[in-house]
Amino acid sequence: MKSIGYLSALLALALVFLFTGSTATAQDKAHTKTPASAIQILMIQSDEVKLPIEFQLALYENLIDQVQKTNKFQHVYRDGDTAAANAAGLVILHSNVYGFRKGSEGKRQVTTVAGATQIKVHCLFTDQAGKSELAQDVTGNVRFLGGNLRATFDFAKKVAQIAVTNFQ
Amino acid sequence: MKMLRVYTITFAAAVISMGAGSLAAPCLAQDANTGNAMSFAGTKHVIGLQGLKHDVKGTLSAGDGSLVFTKGKKKVVVPAASIQEVMTGKDTQRTIGGTVGTLSMFAPYGSGRFLSLFRSKIDTLSIEYLDPSGGLHGAVFTLPAGNALGAKKALLSQGARTSFPVEAEAAAQAKPKEKKQ
Repeated sequence: MKSIGYLSALLALALVFLFTGSTATAQDKAHTKTPASAIQILMIQSDEVKLPIEFQLALYENLIDQVQKTNKFQHVYRDGDTAAANAAGLVILHSNVYGFRKGSEGKRQVTTVAGATQIKVHCLFTDQAGKSELAQDVTGNVRFLGGNLRATFDFAKKVAQIAVTNFQ
Repeated sequence: MKMLRVYTITFAAAVISMGAGSLAAPCLAQDANTGNAMSFAGTKHVIGLQGLKHDVKGTLSAGDGSLVFTKGKKKVVVPAASIQEVMTGKDTQRTIGGTVGTLSMFAPYGSGRFLSLFRSKIDTLSIEYLDPSGGLHGAVFTLPAGNALGAKKALLSQGARTSFPVEAEAAAQAKPKEKKQ
């Protein structure tokens, strides 16, 4: 009988901890969301690695497509767009490729395990003054189905998700 | 025994026709030096043109000071003067692609994997251009092998710009790959 009482007290304590923990996490998440009504996506840079231009352009275009699809921002500006200068609540996304491995679609389809394409990109969100808001490394992969450029789509989807999670 | 021979001959004929089909890729190119419009049928728009779906096949043409991509009734026009960079490259793709190619992966005895060994060479054409508000766009196309340099030349003749001349690019692509030590 004593042990049942002990167990129920322990269970109640655990429930209290669980509840307070989840509330705290939710509050943290709500606090970390940065207000932003517009985003400008700059052209992908590749200072450290040699990235074929078709990958560079596909990364950039997929990124714009995916961020637009989230409907998170009122405006998604391209690199060089003059209208971005007057936009309020603008965040600027800088992307720099630091790792690239071009796989082989043929190898992937024949072996299943070899020939993956991988692109590693350092993404930095800043405000208009250049102050860093968020920095994160994102990797785009294609491991089985699809051409090599599909890795750029994978990367773009992940970055769009990061934008959704961190900006409001 | 007779049936086996018939199957073998049919299979060989199918493989040969597949190869011949990829070699005879349609292209309607004309002379770039005369200033006439050049068009490249069988061009695939991979990504980048506004108002057009990804991975659609159509005709790319360069004439009247612009690049035009036509897919059925849809037409996307990019003024050649707004094109800041034109680059070409080489790649390969599955001879049997698309949905059929994907479904063939589930064919029995690894026959789908065997089919993916048949690959055809393609050229890639990448352009960077500016919209009227100064926004940077990129577009990627694939063309039947041997056409990208012609398309680049045609675009440059219409007023597009590049940092890598056609001759240098042709020389770089013709240079054989160095053997690994």
